[in-house]
Formats: sequence, structure tokens, C-alpha cells
Amino acid sequence: MSSSSLTLPEARKAASRNRRILEILGAAAIAGTYIFLVLTQPADIANGPASFSALVALGGFLLGAVLLIVAVLPVLPTSTLVLIPVALVLNVVLGQVMGSTGLPFYFDAIGTVLIAVLAGPAAGAATGALSSIVWSFFNPTVLPFAAGAALIGFLAGLAARSGLFRRFYLAPVAGFITGIVAGVVSAPIAAFVFGGTSGVGTGAIVSAFRAMGDTLLAAITKQALISDPMDKAIVFAIAAMLVYALPRRTTFQFPFVRRFRVLAGKAPAAPAS
Amino acid sequence: MRLHPFTALTAAACTAVATTAAASWPLSVAVVVATAVLAARARVAGRVLFAAAVTMAPLCLSLLVLHGLFFPEGRTVLAEWGPARVTAEGLEFALDLATRTSACVLVLLLFSFTVSVPDLVSALAARSVPPQFGFVLASTLTLVPAIAARLDRIRQAQEARGLLLRGGLLSRLGALRLQMVPLVLGLIDDAGIRAQALEARGFGAPGPHTIFRHVEDPPRQRIFRAVALVLAAMAVVLRLLASWPEVASP
Repeated sequence: MSSSSLTLPEARKAASRNRRILEILGAAAIAGTYIFLVLTQPADIANGPASFSALVALGGFLLGAVLLIVAVLPVLPTSTLVLIPVALVLNVVLGQVMGSTGLPFYFDAIGTVLIAVLAGPAAGAATGALSSIVWSFFNPTVLPFAAGAALIGFLAGLAARSGLFRRFYLAPVAGFITGIVAGVVSAPIAAFVFGGTSGVGTGAIVSAFRAMGDTLLAAITKQALISDPMDKAIVFAIAAMLVYALPRRTTFQFPFVRRFRVLAGKAPAAPAS
Repeated sequence: MRLHPFTALTAAACTAVATTAAASWPLSVAVVVATAVLAARARVAGRVLFAAAVTMAPLCLSLLVLHGLFFPEGRTVLAEWGPARVTAEGLEFALDLATRTSACVLVLLLFSFTVSVPDLVSALAARSVPPQFGFVLASTLTLVPAIAARLDRIRQAQEARGLLLRGGLLSRLGALRLQMVPLVLGLIDDAGIRAQALEARGFGAPGPHTIFRHVEDPPRQRIFRAVALVLAAMAVVLRLLASWPEVASP
């Protein structure tokens, strides 16, 4: 039935090595772009909009996100792949429902974190990056943040793998740390591509740091360090709540959940397979 | 004449890249006007402009307040209240960035609101892009309206059982849980069924897949795409050469 016996083991090994190289190249493109941008940030932005930095940020981060997608997507099992559109729509719809409660956060990563917890870091990273690309069909300003979204999914998957979702109080801690990393990496995009943040609350915080004489990148990075960890801590807590509210039969059907004992409690009696 | 999806995509992406590289607000405004005219001719002006306004209004407002009032690098001070200083440089910076981002957003929205998604997916599959990408794209774009309707039904059902969407923070969070858990559970269950259906049709099988839908790709449009890509690459190279950061001199 399975076609795996027809594939030569050498060819398979080579393919998996190529994928690993692509993953590493993607991560290196994102990290390298960030370091380059911080080292060469324009000292005097009054000379005009930071076109050079905007092009470098867009090119480097998008290249990294695309490499990650190319490396991860073809090896995802179909059962995980069909969850990606669901996650993406959840990112949007749950974000809107949250907005209707009047809470001052944006929560645009709930679906990504949920998939990362159920299916692992690779699926989480692919979901985050694809989510930005597909959502840019309605709102092109999210496209440049694809690398940051991939990072959130990847870190959420790592947290799940190391068992941080087994205790309910550890999930927000993992979210807090993820928020710090993701916020710092996304700050150059906000600074150089958009020249600021969208939103009155975050804009006010950036203004306050600018009034103290910070550079634009420093001000936006500090703003990200204030709002992103809190936001991601809540998102991780909501994702944990959702995962535990789902029936065991549903959550334990995911091999990642069973293999790394992601969730507390015992697996339900396995059906005869 | 029908545009191949890649031709439209290349045109939109190259325009966005060239506008970013040029960084001059008169050019950005020209791109905005040209896009609006094209959108009107394609009869999508209302939707494109509405989506762009929803995205751009908060960003433009935030840029105006941020750079208009606080721009420590500015020298030409127009007005001053306490720590806030209105500078000519700050206003110019805000204008530059707002018009540049508006131009890019409008061009990309014009593409996404005029492209035929089935054509785009089959064009992608014909270029040996992993079929998974096309699936995620098409599946999401069709799921969005379906899920909004489903959430509405869940809310109505819960309200019929006595759910109240009022009260303090805790009762609101409780109401949220009553809506989100059925939604997520139903979606994950559906996804499992869809996975079985796809597997049964050989979606995950290795090797070439047959495409039933063929999209015309006239040679003229290929030439246009090549020229557009070369021009955009030249714009990027010129910008990189013009403002390569100088090595810190001692």
C-alpha cells in the first residue's frame, strides 16, 4: 500500500538533507538580515525614508520565509496540511471575536500557536509564514511580517515539544519569551518599511520614546518589548485553554502530541489500528 | 485580453518594489492615482479602496502623530508645545512613508481582487510549485466566508441556550469560550475528514500530478514579465548602490 518501499533510501536521505539545508538557509537569511539592519541602520533618517533598509528588510525576511515554506511544506503529512487553512482562518476570525470583547490586544496568532502545539515546530513555522502570505490577499501590510509569524509558530512548537503546555501556568511564560524574540525581530520591519506602528495605543508608546530622543528603530523595539510579550502570553494561554477544552480523542490523534507527550493526562485507549 | 495570473502578479510586485526603491512621494501619488483608475476600469474600485482605507487609515494617522509631533532629527521647527515639536522634516517623512505604503497596498490589493483564484492555483501547479501551497491558498480563501457564517450560527445556537454577550470581563471570557470551543472542535474534525478525502484521491502521493485546468500564457506576456522583472531589479540595484551604508570612517 505504502509507496515508501519503492523509494531508494539514498535518494530519500539526499532529499531530507536538501530540506535541512533549505531550513538552515532560511533561518540564516532572517537572522543575517536582522543583524545587517541593526548594524547599518541609517543614523539620520531625516535624509529621506529609509528606502535602502526597507528593501533589505523586505528581501531578506521574505526570502527566509519562502525558504522555510519550501523546506517544510512538501513533507507535512496531509492531516497536518489541512489544518493550516483552519489555523489561518482562526487567526483572523478569533482576532475579530476578541476585538468584539473590547480588550486592548490584537491576538492574531491564536491559530498558528494552536497548530504548533498540535503538530510541532515545523508545521507551526510553515503555518505562520503561509498565514501572512495568504492574509496579504486582503491586507498587504501583513506580508512583510511573514518571518516574525514563522518564528512565533516555530517557538510555540518548541515550547510544546519541551513540555511547557503540560502545566497550564507555564504556557503564558513560554508566550512571554516568544513575544520578546518575535517583537525584536519584527521591529525593523515596522521601523523601515512602515515608519511606525499601526494603531493608536502602540503609536503613543513609540511617540513617548521618540520624545526622549531615541532613534526610530530603538523606539519601536522598546515598544515591541512592552506590548508583544503580554500579547503573546495571552495568546499562548488561550491556545492552551482551547487545546485542553478539545476532547482527548481529537488532540491525541496527532502523532506529535502522542510522541512528545505535549499535553498533561494519559492518552485515551487507542483504537485498534 | 485576459491577463495570465503571473503577469498581473509580476506587474503588481514590480510596481511595489520600484515605488519602494524610488522613495519619492510624487511618484507614489502617481502610482496611487493610476491604480485607482485601473481599479475603476476593472469595476473593483469600491472594494479595493475600502480594503485599502481600512488598512491605511490607522497607519497614516499613527504616522502623522508620531513623526509630525516627535521627530528629534528635525531642524526646521514649525511649532512647539512642551516636548512636542512640529518639524518640516518630520511631516515630510510622514508624507513620504504614507504615500509609499499606500501605493504598495493599493497595487497589491488590485492584483488580489482581480485575480481568478482557480487560475492562479493551476498556474502555480503548472510551474511545479508544491501542490500543497495551492491547496492552502484556495482552501483558505473559500473557508473565510464559510467560517464567518458558521460562527454566526454557533452564536445564535448558544444565545438560544441562554448565552449573554454582556457583563464583566469574566462573563465575557466565558461567553467567548462557549463560542470558540465548538468552532475549533468542528473545524478540526472537518479537517480530519478532508484529509482522508484528499489522501484517498492521491493528493500526498509523490510524482507528477495531472492538471485539468490550463491557463493561456501568450508569449507577449512572457516578454512583458521578463522586462518588468529586469526593470524592478535595476531599480533595486540603483537604490542599493546609491545608498549603500558607508563604512564608519575614523
